Amino acid sequence: MMKLMNKFAIAVLVVAALAWTIPAALAHHSGSEFDTTKTIEITGTVKEFQFKNPHTWLQVMVPNSKGGPVEWSLEWGSPNALGRQGYRPTTFPIGSKITVRINPMKTGGPAGAFVGAKFEDGKTVGTWN
Amino acid sequence: MKTVVALLLLASLSYGQGAAIVPYDKLPDWSGTWSMVGGTVFDRATQTGTGGALTPGVREHPPYNAQWEAIYQKNLDLRDKSRFPDVITNCGVPAGFPRMFNLPDPYEFAVRPEEVWILAENGPNVMRIYTDGRKHLDDQWETYTGDSVGHWEGDTLVFTTIGLKGSRDGDSILDRSGLVLSDKAHATSRMRKTSPTTIEVQMTIEDSKALTKPWVVTKQFQKMPAGTRLYDYGCAENNRNPVNTSTGETLTLGPDGKPLK
Repeated sequence: MMKLMNKFAIAVLVVAALAWTIPAALAHHSGSEFDTTKTIEITGTVKEFQFKNPHTWLQVMVPNSKGGPVEWSLEWGSPNALGRQGYRPTTFPIGSKITVRINPMKTGGPAGAFVGAKFEDGKTVGTWN
Repeated sequence: MKTVVALLLLASLSYGQGAAIVPYDKLPDWSGTWSMVGGTVFDRATQTGTGGALTPGVREHPPYNAQWEAIYQKNLDLRDKSRFPDVITNCGVPAGFPRMFNLPDPYEFAVRPEEVWILAENGPNVMRIYTDGRKHLDDQWETYTGDSVGHWEGDTLVFTTIGLKGSRDGDSILDRSGLVLSDKAHATSRMRKTSPTTIEVQMTIEDSKALTKPWVVTKQFQKMPAGTRLYDYGCAENNRNPVNTSTGETLTLGPDGKPLK
């Protein structure tokens, strides 16, 4: 199991302290497709930050052991709400190396609800501590 | 002068009643931006997960009759299986009343002598409350938000809402716990500023088809920091979470537009 996790650069954490308020952040839909009892980490390269309604999506290319990277889709709040908090379309520069914490899809697909992120230089975004 | 009097008389006759319009300088100041207090659920006692049943608050369970309680329980069961569809997730339809007062994101309350506008960024949604003395139409048809007319009692806006389609067409709910009302629902609401930073609306909802007695729900709104901006809510701009209307499942679309598994 640990070997599999390493392949995808994923570490499963226990949630409690990182529990994320889905109703507030994913107001446009229920968020029931994500497992809020788990938080995992993925590490990869920013492909795109879709700063559009009704939700922003961070696209991250995550290497795997099968040759090519897997594109993960990470959903965050609305651009309106995030914009009011000071976030911008440039918050995640394309090509940046990044580690992201997410509540994964219940199905195991390459997607999740964004919790927080840390860049190579130590700068963090969202909920990290 | 005679012309002005004649026009005012004509206007009064056109609206069917002669209630005095409160002049602008006598109206309360509801300026600024506001955000709803608490989670987007009317009946917290049945919500599970973060912000749900464990959140302290008033239990606002509607007094359903047996038939509609059964509908509610069925919806709760679907919710627990992640199969209770929320129509606004597919974009394109208004939240309607009373869900209009149960939305996330900022609100603005625009008060004018002849009309009050409830403006919600989320959706976006707009509700108009006429305060120019007009009555409801005798033959009002049903819509999502219905028709609202009201008057001022001091600093309290009192208004009635009729012409609601409810869940008749399957495209209007109150929240994601499965709360629905019928097309017989109507309401009397009282809205006022209870403190410099709080606006409250108390809705007394009656529904001869679904409820055994009036259901009183109170929602509060807290003032946001001065200078808060509102923006477009282009729901269809990049909706990657459509609902499969056959199964009720909320999908997650990948970058290629296909559902992720």
